[in-house]
Amino acid sequence: MNLAILARSSPLFTTSRILHRSIASKPFSCCSISNSPISINPKTPLFLRPPTFSATLSDLQKWQNWAKSIASSVKSSFTDSDNGPNSNDLHRELNWLIEDALENPQSLLTHNEFEIDYVLRLRADLDELYLLWKQRIEKRRPFQYVVGCEHWRDLVVSVEEGVLIPRPETELMVDLVDDVIKENEDLKEGLWVDLGTGSGAIAIGIVRILGDFGRVIATDLSHVAVQVASFNVNRYNLQDKISVKQGSWFEPLSGFEGRVAGLVSNPPYIPSGHVSGLQAEVGRHEPILALDGGEDGMADLLHLCNGAALMLKSGGFFAFETNGEDQCRFLVDHMETIHNGSFHNLEIIPDFAGIQRFVTGIRS
Amino acid sequence: MSRSTSRLHYLSAYRPPIAFLQMKLHSLAFHPQILFAIIVTHASQRTIHDLSNDFVWRISELLILDSRDLCDLADDIGHVATRTLLMPKILRSKASIALSPSPAPSLSPSFTMESVVHSFVSPPDHWLRSQFFPPMRTTAVSPLPIAYRSLPSSLCYAEKPTIAAAFPYSNSVFPLSTSISLPSSCRSKALFATPDAGVSSETSVWAMQDFYTLRKEVEATSQRVKDIRESAGLEQLGEELAKLETAAASDSFWDDRTSAQQTLMALTDVKDKINLLKEFQAQVDDAETIVNLTEEMDSTDTALLEEAANIVKELNKALDKFELSQLLSGPYDKEGAVINITAGAGGTDAQDWADMLLRMYVRWGERQRYKTRVVEKSMGEEAGIKSATIELEGRYAFGYLSGEKGTHRIVRQSPFNAKGLRQTSFSGVEVMPLLPEDSLNVEIPEEDLQIGFSRAGGSGGQNVNKVETAVRITHIPTGVTVRCTEERSQLANKIKALSRLKAKLLVIAVEQRASEIKQIRGDAVKADWGQQIRNYVFHPYKLVKDVRTGHETTDITSVMDGELDPFIKAYLRYKYSESMAN
Repeated sequence: MNLAILARSSPLFTTSRILHRSIASKPFSCCSISNSPISINPKTPLFLRPPTFSATLSDLQKWQNWAKSIASSVKSSFTDSDNGPNSNDLHRELNWLIEDALENPQSLLTHNEFEIDYVLRLRADLDELYLLWKQRIEKRRPFQYVVGCEHWRDLVVSVEEGVLIPRPETELMVDLVDDVIKENEDLKEGLWVDLGTGSGAIAIGIVRILGDFGRVIATDLSHVAVQVASFNVNRYNLQDKISVKQGSWFEPLSGFEGRVAGLVSNPPYIPSGHVSGLQAEVGRHEPILALDGGEDGMADLLHLCNGAALMLKSGGFFAFETNGEDQCRFLVDHMETIHNGSFHNLEIIPDFAGIQRFVTGIRS
Repeated sequence: MSRSTSRLHYLSAYRPPIAFLQMKLHSLAFHPQILFAIIVTHASQRTIHDLSNDFVWRISELLILDSRDLCDLADDIGHVATRTLLMPKILRSKASIALSPSPAPSLSPSFTMESVVHSFVSPPDHWLRSQFFPPMRTTAVSPLPIAYRSLPSSLCYAEKPTIAAAFPYSNSVFPLSTSISLPSSCRSKALFATPDAGVSSETSVWAMQDFYTLRKEVEATSQRVKDIRESAGLEQLGEELAKLETAAASDSFWDDRTSAQQTLMALTDVKDKINLLKEFQAQVDDAETIVNLTEEMDSTDTALLEEAANIVKELNKALDKFELSQLLSGPYDKEGAVINITAGAGGTDAQDWADMLLRMYVRWGERQRYKTRVVEKSMGEEAGIKSATIELEGRYAFGYLSGEKGTHRIVRQSPFNAKGLRQTSFSGVEVMPLLPEDSLNVEIPEEDLQIGFSRAGGSGGQNVNKVETAVRITHIPTGVTVRCTEERSQLANKIKALSRLKAKLLVIAVEQRASEIKQIRGDAVKADWGQQIRNYVFHPYKLVKDVRTGHETTDITSVMDGELDPFIKAYLRYKYSESMAN
């Protein structure tokens, strides 16, 4: 069977790619650090940059007070309009920004008001910090893009415009894999695939619980995502165990049919109609390619189900993230009817908030 | 002049041990120039290289502050070895701090150093002065006030850790007044006036009865040291030390890293304790030596007696603290602490009160030189905080703070109320030990835990991007709940919350004398929570009063600035006597 048939070729696919291009190529208006998002090299997250800048304690405190006050002025306005962050969330983010921007964040606490001339070493110019926080509040630029990283499980993964920020819910995916490989040692040493890897978070999370011979192939259609995922893989020194390949879904996997031990994915699953109403941080800044799942949000999920039947070896495991109960049920129904007998142990697993989030199963 | 000479003769004949001199330097009871003379006499007999680095460092520290006179002195006595050794240090220090003030020639009339030194060292080599010292004379400028403020803190930070590490309460054995008190005396013109005062007015201050009082104090302190050494079991400690050292020397010692580390920590503890007990003895011996010397001699020597009085005073403080640390013998008392402050009902007033408590504990932590971090803070809408979490890393933090658990009540005129009505607010304080991960080897069955993750509502997943990853864990059998929001990922918050829950349960188990978590009585836990422990009255009068111990003070400002030690001590004694009574 030709893999190309599996490769997605719906009209939606083309539009979303165009959409992605248009977003990605639009330079960030007020952003002085604008390495263009389609840069060949991924941006270095703030916390990894060298502390080559400096500011006096009083100047930094001035910035901090300014940032605090504009965060406070937000109150619940973002929450009311689109379920965005409130002042409390923003204060927390501000502390984390300071954590990432200062060489020694403790010094802010340990030096008192008498030492206003004390010089602190920064990883970004103070002007840039003003700009970054302004972008955060006024443009609703996601905090993770502001600092260039997201803490996810015990990892710190680099992210930037053009790459989906890994969500806390998705952390659970690694636990699901952990549970299954504890039961079936065979899977532990097999080949795993993370489709639409984005920042590479899931691939990295999984490979660290696999055995010595376990390998992961991470694929993504987006060039930026492939760059960022490779950067993260290298940073955790896993380049020998994870290979990042560019291409649509199963395209880069030809030759591995029936040999895959596990398949995981967090594909785009938001129905197209919902995209315009998303929280500004998500809708205005994150790549539409990673969010829009077609009219009912199921286009990619169904495609993945079909591919899973083909790629997984007998006893192989899959786990997909979905938008909620409806999609989960639909997928299970689909597998039971269309792929009758191909899968067993089909399960719907809720996330922390109790929303039916994941569908898992075993290839018969 | 003749008296001074005889004094120095006596000292050089007595030839005190280096350790004794070091002590003098610490307390600055001697005139620096006398010390210098002593060093030189030492140096002429031994060599200056016999002196420890630390000692030289301290001398140079003193020299910085009155460099000109002492450089002259070194010149005059032509002790090239001494000077060669000290000069680089002086120059380095001089470059790093703003220059010391040009001191007025301030040798006391009854005592000129030159003449003293000349009486027993060789005549001056004046060519040396021109070769080495001109820059120091010309660059002396009047100092900026700010330089003075930064100088002592940098000095005392530099030498603090060793002492702080050996003992939870700072400022214990060696008073740091050396570096702290000097700048203030520098500001006055007569640089040497302060330390000199005792020397020049020998007869007036010390009457015989003062001496007898001192002798009595020294005897009493000596007895106290003896008692403490006995009750602390110095001999057993020695045996324990030997045992631990044998264990640490064995080949298989590092096979189990965790237990190896524990052994090493226990070893350090025992060593510290033994050293401290020895130090007590050394101090009291010094004081006794001075008293005995004075008795043998015909005249009283004011400086020496002042010194002895000082030793006794400081030693008694250190003994107080040692005794207090003996009260802290709970299994987790030695650990760091996590304080959780939650505003009670009552809106802005209560939230402001929670904020005041937060500041109080942070100040307290900083005073103790604990590594104090506010790891989480949830702001109130108008002012103050809804809740906050502080982590204090340092020895005995939990032991001291464990008694702070409970409800703290404030009575004041509300600043958030136009009429300024009298207002009572509450805040809850929880304290748990900050336990290292590997020491929490308690397993709590999964089904006993209810884990809640706060996530923004709605569809979640890709639809939402919020950094809130708070985790809340409830231990169902006891109802004990912890929440962790400060970490940046959900997993990290969960791990931290779980370890805090374990720490909390372990402490409760100890309190209830339960041998394991399963035996904790949940009903008792709930009843124990929220017991009111202290009242802070700002209006109509000022009073802080502990409900349990009855300890009180009217100095509410100091308390709010972190002066909690009297309350903490009172509670520890109270707890100790309670446990004895049972």
